[in-house]
Amino acid sequence: METGFLQVLLNPARFFEARIRDEPSLKVPALIALICGLIGAVSALIMADVTTAMLPAEMGGLGTLMVVFSTAVAFVGGFLAWIIYGFIFHIISMVFKGQGSLNRTLEVTGYGLIPQVFGGIIGSIFSYYLLSGLTVPAMSSAEEIAAFSEYLVTVLTTDPLAQVAGIVSILFLIWSANIWIFGMKYARNLSTRDATLTVGIPVGIYVIYLIITLIGWL
Amino acid sequence: MAVKMKDLKFLVLALCAALALVSPITAAPADITVVSSSLDPQVMMSGDTGTLTIVIQNNGAEPVAIQSARLYGKGVVPTTDPYLSVGEIGGGNTKTFTFTIRADGGEGTFYPTFVLDFREGGSLRHPVAIQVEDTPLSISMVEKPDAFSEGRTAGITVMVGNPRPNAASGVQVVPEGTGFSVTPTTGFIGGLEPDASGSVTFNLAPETETDVTFRVVWRNGINTHTTDLVLPVTFGEDKKRANPVITNVEVTPITGGYRIVGDVMNAGLESARSVMITPGSPAVPIDPFRVYVVGTLDPDDISSFEVTFRADAGVDEVPLFVEYRDDDGNLYTSTTPVGLGSTVMTPVKEGGSGGFPVLGVVLVILIALGVAGAIYHSWKRT
Repeated sequence: METGFLQVLLNPARFFEARIRDEPSLKVPALIALICGLIGAVSALIMADVTTAMLPAEMGGLGTLMVVFSTAVAFVGGFLAWIIYGFIFHIISMVFKGQGSLNRTLEVTGYGLIPQVFGGIIGSIFSYYLLSGLTVPAMSSAEEIAAFSEYLVTVLTTDPLAQVAGIVSILFLIWSANIWIFGMKYARNLSTRDATLTVGIPVGIYVIYLIITLIGWL
Repeated sequence: MAVKMKDLKFLVLALCAALALVSPITAAPADITVVSSSLDPQVMMSGDTGTLTIVIQNNGAEPVAIQSARLYGKGVVPTTDPYLSVGEIGGGNTKTFTFTIRADGGEGTFYPTFVLDFREGGSLRHPVAIQVEDTPLSISMVEKPDAFSEGRTAGITVMVGNPRPNAASGVQVVPEGTGFSVTPTTGFIGGLEPDASGSVTFNLAPETETDVTFRVVWRNGINTHTTDLVLPVTFGEDKKRANPVITNVEVTPITGGYRIVGDVMNAGLESARSVMITPGSPAVPIDPFRVYVVGTLDPDDISSFEVTFRADAGVDEVPLFVEYRDDDGNLYTSTTPVGLGSTVMTPVKEGGSGGFPVLGVVLVILIALGVAGAIYHSWKRT
């Protein structure tokens, strides 16, 4: 129970305290990142479906290529997010004279992605709900496709449902940050205050960015 | 033969003596004169019935015995019997004879003869001039709209003139026909002296394209005559009517539909009242602007408007209905098609009306509570 996923979510301090006694292992964190990537790929697939429908029939091949490409990018995105978060936390923790390997940082960062799995699932459901009823008109010119793409962005940023999805992802991100704080505390041997700053600064900036995007200031 | 001549002389003398004894105070017929004659109506029309009144006077001092009084002639004929037993007319007295006559001979001046037969022989013949003229009253349209519209009340003024040499009485104008309503139902002008005219105004509201007959009814004496003026009522575009024009249209997608904003301008010459703008089928109006009430638009006035609606997939054009009324309250509708172009409406959420996603908010609250609980739990155990 000390190493269970529920422990990560509800009692990360206890979990990482126990986990730090073992050698760092990236298998489970990589699996979590893989699941995140898969969920992201599903969302990308839904979006790519709409995008492909915009294209004229003679550009069907390009559409298929777009679907494959966007799905692959989203899939890899899960891993990228894991690694980027890990590197940022590791670098910031250096300021607070953190001690511990990068692998350990990546390990705790990966565990912290578990709430993102739930957030990703809910976000994908919202995306499907938002886009499944969208009727895409037949478009023949690049101007029409550009106009529709612009409209699609508008829908995804201003629709109340999209805004709800955004708030949900922020909530899960805060939950992840909470896990990362405890993870960094033990992975880099930081005080609770330093661990909070290590995680809170980048995540806080990102959350502010998300909120500003949701409100529509950007 | 000599005896016979003698007897004859005796007979003549006896006869003269007898005549001298029988009528010693009788005046001569030459004392009787026609002093006046009058006709009602003064000028007849073909087929009219009139009344001819003749007055005679005995200018002598002694009475004159009249056997009969008659009227005869061609073109104008009496329809009543002659006076067969008139009697005496005293010295200085007058006597009136009335005949009912009918004009049977067409137009012109006729001279029926009035004849008095005296009892003691001889007669008085007096031709009476009677004028027959068929010129009717004239009717003309003084004012009417450039074009009629269904249900729209139009003012129509009719003028009636009297070109006849005598007066017409009881002149009235009656609109006749079907497919319209009119007030007043009859326009009364009354008597019209020669060369005089009178006008009457009708408010006509046609329901269909039809012919409206304005019938002028008048009396010449006791004879009723009519004259018609036909007004064809055909629907057309009123040159002065209000003309709301929609411009500067901008279509934007909103949640569950589209929003159209634009300007409406009155390019006509009359005010458009109670102007309302609403999207028509296949569009379905939705809140918040199912219909936009502009109100009154005077000529050259402009107002902005906004309507919201939803439309099925594949609809690339929707009509915008502009409803307005004229000063009489008649309703008009004009339609302006608006293309949706490549704009696409945001899908409507199931279970909602395109408004705020209540279910999503509930979900956010639940997740927020869950996350807060998890975070609180994790720090509590620290």
